[in-house]
Amino acid sequence: MRAKIALASLVFFAGIVLAIPAFAHHSHAMFDSTKQVTLVGTVKEFDWDNPHCWIQVLVPDPNNSQAAPVEWGVEMDSPLALYRRGWRPGSLKAGDEITVVINPLRDGRTSGQLVSVTGPDGKIIGHPAEVTK
Amino acid sequence: MIPDFTGRIVGRRALPAIVMALIAGCLCPARAQTSSRERIKAFAKLPDWSGFWEWDVLVGQADGQQLSPEGLGKVQAYTAAVHPAFNAAWQAKYDQAKKALDVAVAAAPDQPPATYQPCVAPPFFLATAQPGIYEWRVTPEETTLISTMGSVRHIYTDGRAHPPKDELWPTNMGDSVGHWEGDTLVVDTVATKPEIRVPERDIFFTVIPMSDQLHFVERIRMVNRNEMQIQFTTEDPIALAKPMNVTLTWVRVTNTNRMTEENDCDPATDRNPVVNGRFTTVVR
Repeated sequence: MRAKIALASLVFFAGIVLAIPAFAHHSHAMFDSTKQVTLVGTVKEFDWDNPHCWIQVLVPDPNNSQAAPVEWGVEMDSPLALYRRGWRPGSLKAGDEITVVINPLRDGRTSGQLVSVTGPDGKIIGHPAEVTK
Repeated sequence: MIPDFTGRIVGRRALPAIVMALIAGCLCPARAQTSSRERIKAFAKLPDWSGFWEWDVLVGQADGQQLSPEGLGKVQAYTAAVHPAFNAAWQAKYDQAKKALDVAVAAAPDQPPATYQPCVAPPFFLATAQPGIYEWRVTPEETTLISTMGSVRHIYTDGRAHPPKDELWPTNMGDSVGHWEGDTLVVDTVATKPEIRVPERDIFFTVIPMSDQLHFVERIRMVNRNEMQIQFTTEDPIALAKPMNVTLTWVRVTNTNRMTEENDCDPATDRNPVVNGRFTTVVR
């Protein structure tokens, strides 16, 4: 089961310029856009609401199947902005197994802003961030 | 005796007046019809700005709100352009405010200072350079600009002037009057909130109080079917050494045919509340 081989990995992209947050509802300075974390886990909740949609994802510890999974919060764009890029309110549902790439919070708490989501069918949902190499 | 329209009985001397009133009443629909035809002709002279528009820096923005490299380049160019040439007195105010902002950002990078009010429609002139979708409603009497971020601008084109100064007060959008020069809408705006928000990095703004002579002129036109340009001039002879000129580009939105609100917040559920003047993130 994919969730059982869950992996949360911190990846440093030296030499890659990541996309930068836009003018938006709030500052994104709390996120570290030079880092990416990949979360493999199960959707607990998909919150489709203004001003930002959120995914709550439960990420098991890959080294300890008995340990309680860690809950991560993934901040997305607004519903309309996501809708324009192919997302729908039913794009994710509780129990879906997904892989999420995020820019994590700088303060180390288990949350970040979305970079990309790969759905249960193995396909990327919506339009992930472009990067310049 | 003749009953009047209220059922009262009136004398014969009132008859001519009643007949005139009836004739006038009969003419009203015809007059309205003429007016409608004239209005339709007036509509036909206006450019077709229908459809949805967005600020060009946001094209290619990703699901997590990150700009594309192209968008980032554009926003950096805009940021450089939207920097007023203050006179010496106002430059000192700017330097002081900018230093205070830098100190505030450095003090708590995890909780960036809120240099604007979230979940409230952005003020003029940021209202023309914000995320979301714009829609124009162009009529002979008024051009209205509606944004999914909640702002609505009323630009009166019926020939009126601004109200006298003692009938104006500062508002987010100010008071706008406009006229058409061919297919270009020329807009004059006064009575905005007396401040300028200078974009810095991320979405931090240095907020500078301006004088009561702050005044904006826009020249807005559709360059082609898929692009609009807003030439923006900011004037304040008390605070600026020279007017500030910026050209914003909007592009046609092709990936939706609906506008919905996207800036409303429920304080009970907002996960990015402003606490002590700083943005925070609620982690469940």
